[in-house]
Order: sequence, then C-alpha cells, then structure tokens
Amino acid sequence: MSFLVRFWGVRGSIPTPGLQTHRYGGNTSCVELEVDGVRFICDAGSGIRELGIDLMEEGPKPLTAHLFFSHMHWDHIQGFPFFTPVYVPNNHFTIWGPRTGDRRFARLLGGQMRSSYFPVDFHDLGGTISADDLGDGERVIDGVRVRVFHQHHPGVSFAYRFEKNGVSVVYATDSEIDLDLDDPELPLRDPGALRGVPQDLVAFCRGANLLIADGQYTDEEYPKVVGWGHARATTIVDLAVLAEVEQLAVFHHDPMHTDEEISDLIGHCQQRAASHGSDVTVFGAREGFELRLDRPPGRRQTQY
Amino acid sequence: MNDTVDDPVDGRLAFATTEATDISVLPKRLVRRPHILQIVAGDVAPRTIPLTQDSMSVGRSNEADIRIMTADLSRMHMRIDRTRRGFKCFDMDSRNGVFVNEVRVHSAVLRDGDLIQLGNVALMYHEGS
Repeated sequence: MSFLVRFWGVRGSIPTPGLQTHRYGGNTSCVELEVDGVRFICDAGSGIRELGIDLMEEGPKPLTAHLFFSHMHWDHIQGFPFFTPVYVPNNHFTIWGPRTGDRRFARLLGGQMRSSYFPVDFHDLGGTISADDLGDGERVIDGVRVRVFHQHHPGVSFAYRFEKNGVSVVYATDSEIDLDLDDPELPLRDPGALRGVPQDLVAFCRGANLLIADGQYTDEEYPKVVGWGHARATTIVDLAVLAEVEQLAVFHHDPMHTDEEISDLIGHCQQRAASHGSDVTVFGAREGFELRLDRPPGRRQTQY
Repeated sequence: MNDTVDDPVDGRLAFATTEATDISVLPKRLVRRPHILQIVAGDVAPRTIPLTQDSMSVGRSNEADIRIMTADLSRMHMRIDRTRRGFKCFDMDSRNGVFVNEVRVHSAVLRDGDLIQLGNVALMYHEGS
C-alpha cells in the first residue's frame, strides 16, 4: 500500500511570502493525500496553486480528486480559482459536504468566482465538478474510510480522518480546542501540566500515524486571541500525547511568525511531548514535505 | 580613488572622491556561490560537496554520484534534484530512510541549514546564490 501526504500550504489566515517565511512557507492551507493512487485534497488555500502546477506537469491524463474543506473561510478557498486542473476538460473533482444533503461547500466555493470577484465563472470551468456528502459523517471513498468531526471555530469547522489498512491521517485545522478544555484555567495555573482535551476528539485522533493540527499560537499569545478559532500549539501536543498518535504536524502557522519563531515554538512543543513521556514525533508542517505512511502505527521504522 | 575621511561626521564614515574610479578592474558579474551539501557527521566527515548537477544520487553503489561507503546507506539511498522550488531530496526506497531535521520524509524541498540524516551520516544543506 502507498499512503503519501504532501504539504502545499501550511500558513494561517493570509499568504505570507518573503524571506522570513522561506523555510516553512507562506502559502495558506492545502494538504494532499494520495492513497493507492486515489487523491484527496484538504482545503484550497493558496498552496493548491502549487499542487495544480505539479499535477499539470504530470501530463495530459484525466485527473480525479476528492476535495475536502475544513470550512469556507477565505484562506481555505482562495487558491481554488488558480488551481489549473479544474479548467481542463475530462478532469473530475468531487466536493464533499460533511452532512447528508449538504452542498453548501460547493455553492460557496463557486460564490467567490462570481464576476465581481473573479473573471471566470464557476460554471464555466472546463473540468467536471460534482458534489457529494459524508452522510452520517462517515463514508468509504475508493477504498478509503473518511470520517468527519465538528470543531470549535467561528461558524464551525470540520476535521477529517482518512484511513486505509490501519494507516490513518487526521486533518484538523482551524480548531480552538482550548475552549473545550476540562479545566480552562489549568494552562495559566500550571502551564506544563497535561491538559484535558475533549474525549471524543481524543477518540477521533486515536492512534493516527499523523495528526495535522492547528497550533497557531504560543501560550503567551493565546490570552489575547481567545475566541479567534485557533489553538495553543502546546494544547495540540497534549492532544497528540493523549491520542497516542505517531507524528504531529503543527499546522496553520501564524502569519506574523517568522521561520525562527516557528522553529522555537516547535522546539518547545517537542520538549513538552518529552516531558509527558511521549515519543510522538513533533514537527512544524512545512511546504514541500512529503511523508510516506505505509505501516500501521506501532511498527516503528528505524530511527537514529 | 576613494579616500576615507579620517574625521567622520557624527561617528559615520564619509568618502571623498579625489580621482575617477577605474571600473575595468571590477568583476564583470557577481560571483555565484554554489548550493552545497556538507557532510557533518559519519565516517567520511567533514567534507563539502557542491551540487553542480541537476540530479545527483547518494549511496554506496559505484553508480552513485556521491558515493559514501557506510553500511547504513543503501546502494542508491537518496537523490537530490534541482526543481523550480529549489533543491529537493527523494528517498530512493532506502532501507533506513531519509530524515530531514529528524522527520522521515519521502521527499522534501530543502532550505538553508536543513540537516539530512542517512543512517549515521549527517549532511547539512547550504543554499547558494
């Protein structure tokens, strides 16, 4: 089995090109999963443009992909009109809604391509675009089991778990799990203590090979941005520890954070995981990283 | 000839032109620094390898562009290609994997200062200009 994960955009809120974001990248959210040749695309931030360039370079063969959206905030859809493969006839894309009959994502995605905003109308795209949904929150799509989880974010957002043959990836961005802690005051009273995150979220992430999670803020920043819909990076470390995931990619980097600041934050997160006795691999999601996850967790690969 | 004035105003250096500069002695183009891999750990360290080709392989094989004779390495362990996003490393189905900054990757676009680990060999990537 081949289970590949590619990071095309890892930044939150707005694209941030420049020397200070060169290492991690400045494109907004887009992660691609390729499972035995079946392609899933999570979010269509500006990173999807780069994915489109790569796919076009692969040649003229018809392309099929499944598009999943955490939500419709601008930084998660703004790249779609620049995703070249949707202009190509014979390419087919399915936009998946999180609930039975929910076609809202497909409708809103097209809305940003009305003439006031963009010169090409959604209905004039050359590719075929259809809408479907996850029914009661779970579907098997081309052999891959996909589940959805409702998250805490202004206007709501959704996490997805993709699983095949025991290998699984959870994509969970734009989620303020700090608002759902068992003891919201604990991070202020005892910052190093393991935080009680919601059990249903822990169960959703349980044993994943890779958890890609919103960790936009430092502990120092968070009190000033409560309610903005994003988490402390340290809290998602605790989620990863409690859910016993193999790897955690800290995602949705703050647009104000430089490469150096992100590296410092990741170092702090790694220390925190170790202090909880966990061997989870913690890293900062980075444009241009491709991971291959072809073994169920527990069968650790050789590491040095 | 440009002369530095010894008595700077407000602590800043000042220059006074006394003769026309002979520009024929200046370099005709900027000197470009090559992208390099620096072996920083392992039996063969220290060593510096300029990335002069568009695609270079690393491994134990005679066929490898960069041959490193260490048991931890596969015969063809890693490839490094020049891409429009920068140099990119690929795991060539190696036994012990390619780690970039301690993360096992299938491929990765490299950035200045990245540490690539292949078994007990560590290489640091330096971006050129």
